[in-house]
Amino acid sequence: MTKRTMTLNLTDAEMRALDELSVRKDLSKTAVLRQALRLYQTIDARVEKGEKLVFENDATKEKAELMLL
Amino acid sequence: MAEVSLIYLVDGATGEAVEAELRDAIKAAQLVDWQTKWQPALITVLQELDRRGVPVGQWPQSWHWDWRKKTAAVQGLLAFRGFCVVAAGVTQGLAQVDLTKGAREAGQVGKPLVYVDYLEVAPWNRPDLGQQLRFRGVGTALLSAVVALSEAEGFKGRIGLHSLPQADRFYRDRCGMTDLGPDAAYQGLRYFEMTPDQAQAFLKEEE
Repeated sequence: MTKRTMTLNLTDAEMRALDELSVRKDLSKTAVLRQALRLYQTIDARVEKGEKLVFENDATKEKAELMLL
Repeated sequence: MAEVSLIYLVDGATGEAVEAELRDAIKAAQLVDWQTKWQPALITVLQELDRRGVPVGQWPQSWHWDWRKKTAAVQGLLAFRGFCVVAAGVTQGLAQVDLTKGAREAGQVGKPLVYVDYLEVAPWNRPDLGQQLRFRGVGTALLSAVVALSEAEGFKGRIGLHSLPQADRFYRDRCGMTDLGPDAAYQGLRYFEMTPDQAQAFLKEEE
């Protein structure tokens, strides 16, 4: 599969978040961003079809809807 | 354009190695094979099981899978990938995977894995139907491709899947995956995972 390169400009806070996710998820920074793109595209496609993204607390069963802009 | 790798299956009749192609996509030709070759073969198998009085509960549990719908539902989405094995000009196995799931195994919790949504071999390659197999090694080849994808994506070979009961032993004994038990949230099917170490052992075994 052909891959293309781009330059990504991030703030310090964004870079810190990327670093933290990279460590926690045992992924390279590139892999984190590719994973983020997959998830964003999947969620966007489902929301476009009229579905909602809802988080549920396993213990309290409390639900919260995440608005995707 | 799908990437094509040369692999070897085993001819079920002669035991000899047979060249086959592993492709990293499911294209229209595979869906045509599924519709025009798998479906008639499956109906023949089901009729035979019915004639022998085999209870429906023991029929191939994937008999109702519709690969046209499964592939259409994820068309264009980066999170979903497909694989197929082609030999003798015919599709011998299909797999569809999801790259958005996280691991559950105690030492891997929350780390990304490649989740096998569906994996099916052609009816004439199913060992559980008590028939002479046309090709052996199709399911293993597909699973190897999934593990390789996991490595290529930086997921260290982690994979996960819910197994149909007829395949539990294959994933536990043949593939060396960890059995995390029945999943009440998924029709009670057993959930299996392959850790990075298990993935290395599996790929080494398949070399």
